[in-house]
Amino acid sequence: MKPSRLARTGRSVLIPLITVLSAFVLAGLVMLVTGNHPLSSYGAIFDGTGLNWLFPWVTGQNRTIAAQDLQQTLVAAAPLVLTGLSVAFAFRVGLFNIGAQGQYTVASVIAVWIGTIWGGMNPVLHIVLAIVLAALIGAVWSALAGWLKANTGAHEVISTIMLNWVAIWVASYLFQEGGPLQGKQALGNPVSNTIAGNLHLPVIWGNPELQGLDVGVFLALIAAALYWAIIRRSTLGYEVRAVGHNPAAATASGMSVARSYIVTMAICGAFAGLAAGIDVFGWEFQVSSTTISTSEVGFLGIAVALLGRNTAIGTVAAALLFGALETGTAAINLNPSAINPELAPQLTLIIEGLVVLLVSTDLIAVRLLGLPRKVGWGRPQAVAAARRDTLAADDPALDPAEALRPEPGL
Amino acid sequence: MSPKEEFVKVFARLSGAAALLAAVAVGVLSTASSSARTTHSKSIKPSSFTLGVVADTGGLNDHGFNHLAYMGELEAHAKLGVKYQVLVSTSSADYVPYLTKEAENGDKLVVAVGFDFTDALGQVAKEFPKTHFAIIDTPANTIPGKPKNVEGLIFKSQQSGYLVGYLSGLVSKAKHYTTVSTVGGQDIPSVTAYIAGFQAGARAADPKIKLLNAFSNNFADQAPCETLADNQIAQGSKIVFQVAGGCGLGALQAAKQHGVYGIGVDADQGYLGSYILTSALKRVNNAVFQATQDLLHGKFTGGGNLVYDVNNNGTGYGRLNAVAKPYAKQLQKLLAEIKAGKINVPTTMLVK
Repeated sequence: MKPSRLARTGRSVLIPLITVLSAFVLAGLVMLVTGNHPLSSYGAIFDGTGLNWLFPWVTGQNRTIAAQDLQQTLVAAAPLVLTGLSVAFAFRVGLFNIGAQGQYTVASVIAVWIGTIWGGMNPVLHIVLAIVLAALIGAVWSALAGWLKANTGAHEVISTIMLNWVAIWVASYLFQEGGPLQGKQALGNPVSNTIAGNLHLPVIWGNPELQGLDVGVFLALIAAALYWAIIRRSTLGYEVRAVGHNPAAATASGMSVARSYIVTMAICGAFAGLAAGIDVFGWEFQVSSTTISTSEVGFLGIAVALLGRNTAIGTVAAALLFGALETGTAAINLNPSAINPELAPQLTLIIEGLVVLLVSTDLIAVRLLGLPRKVGWGRPQAVAAARRDTLAADDPALDPAEALRPEPGL
Repeated sequence: MSPKEEFVKVFARLSGAAALLAAVAVGVLSTASSSARTTHSKSIKPSSFTLGVVADTGGLNDHGFNHLAYMGELEAHAKLGVKYQVLVSTSSADYVPYLTKEAENGDKLVVAVGFDFTDALGQVAKEFPKTHFAIIDTPANTIPGKPKNVEGLIFKSQQSGYLVGYLSGLVSKAKHYTTVSTVGGQDIPSVTAYIAGFQAGARAADPKIKLLNAFSNNFADQAPCETLADNQIAQGSKIVFQVAGGCGLGALQAAKQHGVYGIGVDADQGYLGSYILTSALKRVNNAVFQATQDLLHGKFTGGGNLVYDVNNNGTGYGRLNAVAKPYAKQLQKLLAEIKAGKINVPTTMLVK
């Protein structure tokens, strides 16, 4: 018996929620063991995320601070939405894109380079051109891995990881002391030129001088809507899902698996490249060798996509959670007696780590709730697709109509 | 503004100008740039003084730079009675908001740990002209906009490098080692000063010693530094000096694995084991403590630098292991000579 649409949607919301809650409970135990009070610590973290701004009873100075914190949460969440979409889109075709970090890196380089040359250009045109080119280079970089997969069978996990390193080391070389793109004023500091003030993305909330919220967050939301439209409403999305569910069946129905891999990876790269574009023009304004080697936004995208179950809305929600965690656990430090400052950043990592761990073991939640198991998201989908490849051709599971049954959620 | 506040402000300005004139007259202010001014204003009660530190992405457990800044903060809290807070950046997106957070919290002094904060500090200092900022390892005049409320806390780390380099030369000579090496995090002055001192010191003790150097372009990940050190050891290096923060711990790991000696950096890294000959120190903790104490007494070198060297216990060498102990007297003598200004340590590397 097929579960109703409502039940399926309910389940796709419930399981990530249970995952996150379990992660919080386990991290609470860690706090307890290390001598901190979990509830008051979580209270402080929540206030630190700025989400208390949504409560009308928070007023005065607290409201100002909450507004600033919320701006930072959103600034942090915007690129995570995009790198999350980058990973999620690949999952839909059955590929695991670990390369969002590399795609983000090459796009940062292009964005900051374009942003610091051609001084006389119309500012609006200049920003648009730079961000479009950043997305484009991300797409090309990522399509390389797709092309390798399609033509040589090189596994995308290996090739995207390797391309990450190529991107990171080339970028560090470019900005290092004496490197070709090191800023003119930056002697002794391995950093690019700085993007001029008239080329910054407009700040819509907060002080533009103090990293207020820029319009990048809207670009991220538009990208999420686009993601939904491609997956659900386009021929391309139909093909992507078909190949993801069952490459053999897709081939049998006349679709090109190779083309799907290349096009999908290109779109993934464009999302990650866009993330770099909004970061560089939104708040970063320059790129340094140090930030390149310490940035983790692409890797966090994997966790975001997993938790968001590769859906547009899920990815946005998961990115918001991860952004809020980053901001919230920092603010808790303002009072060193509340939690040991040496421990607080680790707490973020513990919660994030637990989320990823629990997402990958979501079967536990499924079992506990007595829910029927359904293969249909994340890595299991690709694995299942691969397994079905090996099955006999007359297996009913290979029925394309069954494989293309719509998935729950967006 | 009340007349009283007006008076205090004018007085502060005048006394600042007077102090500057006096200082220039006796030539004490040798390091401050021409636009720098040491202001002497009313001292501040410790109970109303909060010291803020913003650590970079290395985190407080980096066994180096950030750790030392935090130690200095705790020391200021314990000995001077000031309140404190510390924020640890997880990415460069945190720099501006964290500096802002501490300034808005009303912190009297906000210390940014490292050159990575250069541009973020330029942005924030301008918005909070009444807050005092300090930045480690970065001259104040390199901050964009040259704000007058920022002081640079800089170190003559070439002196520490020279001391440990000299020790390496002595040990090499005695043990007939041909080669010593350095692993730097990046080709930037705060790193190359250490290495320049090390190379000059090693050659001073053993003119024939072969010097190797490599840059990892990384301060966080141990793997690249370990690989570089492996290569140097394969080329005959018997003493590896790391100048790459957290990455450099990988270089020391390589030294341990191959049974050669390592030299720590910034903090005393002798805790790693008996293979650590000694460490080249950059006492960031002393700088943070001193800057806090100065500001408590109303002294602040806005737009200029406070320079830490062997004379004010900013640089030096750490604990000596069993192999290095016999040379303790020679090192003491060398330290005294540097203090007396008899040795001028170069800041340019002999071998890149």
